[in-house]
Amino acid sequence: MTTSSAPTKRIEIKAQKRLRTLMRDYFLDLDAAAHDPDRRVAWCTSVGPCEILTAFGFNVYFPENHGALLGARKVSHTLIPHAVSIGYCAETCSYMNSDIGAALEDRSPLKEIYGIEGPPNPDLLAYSTNQCREVQDWFSFFARRHDATILGVCPPGFLGEITPAHVKYVRSQLKRIIEQIESQFGLKLDDGKLEEQVAKSSQASTLWREILQTARARPAPMTFWDGLVHMAPVILMRGSEIAIDYYRQLLAEMEERLINDVAAVPNERYRLYWEGMPVWPRMRELSEKFFDLRASIVASTYCNSWAFERYDGGDPLEWMARISIEVFINRAEHAKEAFLNTIFDEFSIDGAIFHNARTCPNNTNSRFGMAQRLRDERKIPILVLDGDLSDVRFFSTAQSMTNIEAFIEQLEGSRG
Amino acid sequence: MNHPPSYFVGIDAGSSDTKCVIIDDQGEILAHSVRSSGFNFADSAERALYVALHDLKTDRSRIARCVSTGYGRASVAGAHRQVTEITCHAHGAKRCYPRVRHIIDIGGQDTKIMHLDGNGQLLDFRMNAKCAAGTGTFLESIAVKLGRTLSEIDALALRSKRELTLNSYCTVFAGTEVIECVKAGQAAEDIAMGLFRSIASRIREMIPNASDSIVATGGVVAHCKSMVNALEIVLGAPIELPPLPQHAGAYGAALLALQSVDDGADEPPVVTETAGRGDQC
Repeated sequence: MTTSSAPTKRIEIKAQKRLRTLMRDYFLDLDAAAHDPDRRVAWCTSVGPCEILTAFGFNVYFPENHGALLGARKVSHTLIPHAVSIGYCAETCSYMNSDIGAALEDRSPLKEIYGIEGPPNPDLLAYSTNQCREVQDWFSFFARRHDATILGVCPPGFLGEITPAHVKYVRSQLKRIIEQIESQFGLKLDDGKLEEQVAKSSQASTLWREILQTARARPAPMTFWDGLVHMAPVILMRGSEIAIDYYRQLLAEMEERLINDVAAVPNERYRLYWEGMPVWPRMRELSEKFFDLRASIVASTYCNSWAFERYDGGDPLEWMARISIEVFINRAEHAKEAFLNTIFDEFSIDGAIFHNARTCPNNTNSRFGMAQRLRDERKIPILVLDGDLSDVRFFSTAQSMTNIEAFIEQLEGSRG
Repeated sequence: MNHPPSYFVGIDAGSSDTKCVIIDDQGEILAHSVRSSGFNFADSAERALYVALHDLKTDRSRIARCVSTGYGRASVAGAHRQVTEITCHAHGAKRCYPRVRHIIDIGGQDTKIMHLDGNGQLLDFRMNAKCAAGTGTFLESIAVKLGRTLSEIDALALRSKRELTLNSYCTVFAGTEVIECVKAGQAAEDIAMGLFRSIASRIREMIPNASDSIVATGGVVAHCKSMVNALEIVLGAPIELPPLPQHAGAYGAALLALQSVDDGADEPPVVTETAGRGDQC
């Protein structure tokens, strides 16, 4: 039964104020680099070869962040038709379509938020298809538009066991990217610098993992919704001291919450897992709904995607190759299922929500029976929620809210 | 002489119709009503309640508890609790058929399938994706296109002699497919039955094991015998209907109102989205 006793007010995470400053500084510096003839800008996918780019001295911009921002600002569905009009299918990646539409219309929330011209023009675009093949076409559009160099890594996909041969193959592609950048831009990679970037990326990522793991506590000090906000540095500022410092502060705050028993969802009653992409345009409504239902989404595949394994010295390219193929989205069904089983145990999960993101089949795991298999194995309720990461036209708020409430009623009923 | 409050009310503010059921403390139905939801759930709930109370020759003072459900559940004034229609339909159907394992509710806006375990506990549920195909709206839309009422489509379908399959997932495409069938000279009776089969096929996708007891609820099965026939053909299993299929959700809500008293809950009425008159039930 849906409880009528709503919890008390949400407690803000103090570090968020600093995050806003970091984000502003990041985008202003990116804009400055784009306007400085002596500096270079590279675009990169979120689990792409960014450490190589920063080691070469590029300022790195991540278009996926822009895609998410367009979704969160609820404008994607107004931009997607422009991409569709030039031949991009409306049912392919809504990040890609809205980003292309934004470029065609010269629109960007970065203008209003940071007062910059929009996404910086790229000198180079570097992608990895470890998450999907769509990024290749997305980046190709902008490479043509800006007459910029485009380079890519295409790791083997849907992997179960990861073998040394897989790592070696991807490492060779990363090596090839380095050679291409050196020859096309007349640069020479400083191996020590690459090692430093990788070490810092790993450090930030390790801190991020520790932060996420504080939610194993009952009650959880943070939720998936907090993670969506605070994950920005581990993507955008990976390889920087800034990200490391920020996550030290955030981890300290979460540990303080643990000591003082501060719950992200006061009177936490249900501990849930979110599988798949966020629904950016409905993030506020969804987070409030779960908060009101005393349901804490304590873990997610999405936020864990940047919790890489630790780098303990050695060949930095091998580490980059390994994390690039180990990422959840690049794995076989049985490997994904094993990961979910482990994390469900670690976080004492009562039930899970699988987001069936209409335009993101690669990061949707409810399409081959996994939700039903996990439900049967673990005897926990699992809800498949139809929607999309950015395009609100694929999301019915009324239906989704009824589904979520019924799911909580089901959870409550199962407790007898 | 003043009687103590002893009636329990369930109001199902659905996308097409608002249903009201009043039960006694034994769970027996005393009165029921249905009114078109229109654009104002608060108003339609008020009208449905008024009619049911009037039929029972009583007034609001006799109401002990009220639970609202359906898409407009948050707008029902005076409800002590809001519960989703998924839980309510399960309760309503389970009361009529204690051994039920699958409940099919075909409503105006969506179709819901609920799976119960052997103890009547909700095990899983599914709702059609964000699309009218497979819902009451689908049938109404095609009926309008053919210039018939839903009752006429049902009557035609009952006379169908030959199986005709409509393949489209989309209401708009299905409409086009129906027109193609008309142009090809297919019998109107077979086309009509094809529509019901089309809905049943969508439902089949949501029921992995149709061998257990199945109960159907909702306005479509209440008014269209062809829908029940199509379900039985496609699922290959008998379909049972509660005495008031369209009121199963409201009945479940009323049962939950009664149960909330048994649970010892003592909640004040809550309304989160009052859109009309503020009279409380």
